[in-house]
Amino acid sequence: MEILIYGAVTSAIYAMLAVGFTLIFGVARVLNLAHGSFYALGAYGAYVLTSIAGLPLWLAAILAVAGVSLFGVLVEKILIRPLRYSQLGVLMITLAIALVVEQSLFLTFGSEYRNVPAFVDTKINMGGVDVAGQRLLTLVVAGVSIAVLYLFIQRTRLGSAILAISQDADAAKYMGIPSDRIFSLVMAISAALAALAGILAGPFLSVQPSMHLLPIVKAFAIVVVGGLGSIPGSILAAFMLGYAETIVAYEISTSWTEIVSVLATLLMLVFRPAGIFGKRTAF
Amino acid sequence: MAALGSLDKLSSTAGLVSLCLLAVLPVLVGGSYLVGVLTVAAIYGIWAVSWDFMSGLTGRENFGHSLFIGVGAYAAGFLNVQMGLGPWWSLPASMVLASFFGLLLGFPTLRLKGPYFALAMLSAAVIMQRLMLIFWEYTGGEEGIQDITPLIKNHLHYYWFVLCVLGLTTWLFAWLARSRWGLILRAIKGDEATCMAAGLPITTYKIISLIISAAFAGLGGALYAHYQLQVSPQLFAVVTSITIITMVYVGGIGTIFGPVGGALLLTLMTEGLRNFGEWRLMIYSVLLILILFYLPNGVVAPIWKKIRAMLTSSVQGTGAQRPTDKATGEA
Repeated sequence: MEILIYGAVTSAIYAMLAVGFTLIFGVARVLNLAHGSFYALGAYGAYVLTSIAGLPLWLAAILAVAGVSLFGVLVEKILIRPLRYSQLGVLMITLAIALVVEQSLFLTFGSEYRNVPAFVDTKINMGGVDVAGQRLLTLVVAGVSIAVLYLFIQRTRLGSAILAISQDADAAKYMGIPSDRIFSLVMAISAALAALAGILAGPFLSVQPSMHLLPIVKAFAIVVVGGLGSIPGSILAAFMLGYAETIVAYEISTSWTEIVSVLATLLMLVFRPAGIFGKRTAF
Repeated sequence: MAALGSLDKLSSTAGLVSLCLLAVLPVLVGGSYLVGVLTVAAIYGIWAVSWDFMSGLTGRENFGHSLFIGVGAYAAGFLNVQMGLGPWWSLPASMVLASFFGLLLGFPTLRLKGPYFALAMLSAAVIMQRLMLIFWEYTGGEEGIQDITPLIKNHLHYYWFVLCVLGLTTWLFAWLARSRWGLILRAIKGDEATCMAAGLPITTYKIISLIISAAFAGLGGALYAHYQLQVSPQLFAVVTSITIITMVYVGGIGTIFGPVGGALLLTLMTEGLRNFGEWRLMIYSVLLILILFYLPNGVVAPIWKKIRAMLTSSVQGTGAQRPTDKATGEA
């Protein structure tokens, strides 16, 4: 039962990170190594707004998510867009951005761990297991936000524009879809999801400047297993990886959990590089 | 294409002269502090040139060069302290172990197009750093492995030794880059599909280049371990890789000599900014962004090209550059 619940919470956070990561790749062909920075900035934003500015947490969370998605849009517009013609240029620039963010956080806040307040402090007993309310909230919020995103993409006009670009960027352009504006939108969504994940996971994970690295590693592993650019694939893979790590943590030892993602990535790349749902053309 | 087989005389002379200058510099100026800085700079030079050989020539950027450095350094520390072997064993052992990691990561990822290689290297380096902390019983955790014996006791002599290794490494890579092998690597960067159509086993070429590059990164790691006399998980950090990549970009990507110059320049420059210690990595990352935008060909290699053009025109009386200059400079 513990495995079931904790696994679901881990998976939910991974899914929020991986969906944003794969979305911006699928639409703009941008592999965003600064994706983890959005997660870190979300957590730090919530920390600053609550403990320094003294705002209530819900307001702080909204402001932090909005701020990070604005940051994402600006980064995409100013730094990533001029280099989009070269995939390596994008990788270099986003990694450099990630390090600038990490170093700025380090220079402002130092390397010690910070506490992000939890939305709910109560523990809830589920099937004989005490689960912190914050974890359940994370699960619910993740589920709702991904469902909303899915409906947005499937049901709205803007969503169809996103889908159209991801299927064939050139054809979409000929149909008069303003691809640059869509990229900004997708970047905003992706950054907002990552920031939200950071705020939700902040209370039970460590908040410190280098926290952006592991999310990138996990998002990459998930996206490789699920198929680069496929949203259902990355949700499925997020759950596979989340549960695999939780099971390893409970059955073997927490030391081995980090190996799961790398092993999964390497095995997948050897045997089925396209991922579970990936298109063959993805590589 | 006759110049392909042999090294460009002017460049190698300039390389040798600067190597000699570097060797006598601490004797002239004196001070053990300078020796230390220059040793580190030379080791960074080895790392930068080995990165450039694989990634600069084939265009497959390696975001986890620190993995090979860390593996080499830990191999040295482990053999020396835990197993009690003599320090000279570290050099071959670190090269072998780092090449093994190169094969392990290169085999699944270099077969594929797309960003898999870059990302897999980044992930692997991050995970290795975590593993060093998690398995602290064997690796010493945050503290790392202490009390490694020095290869050569005298610091100045050790500096000369490292400088020799740097010279030989650079010569080897420059020779490889100018050989048929290097030509094929550059061709892979240009157009993989055409190379495949021409019947070249491009995956094999890429994997072997990665293995060679990894071996020398590992060697540099071992030299670093025997200089610092300790190793720490920080060696695996992504910032190590980024520092090296920045050096290569400053030097001029794909030019082999350039990155060595970039490494020396940046290490000495940041020593000058030592009062801003905390800001060092910030400076590197901002510098990288600026270079990506404004000077994609780097700083050192284009300046050297200009100087050489001036020299050749004054010697031969013709301002024309040989066609091979363009081929190597643009790559």
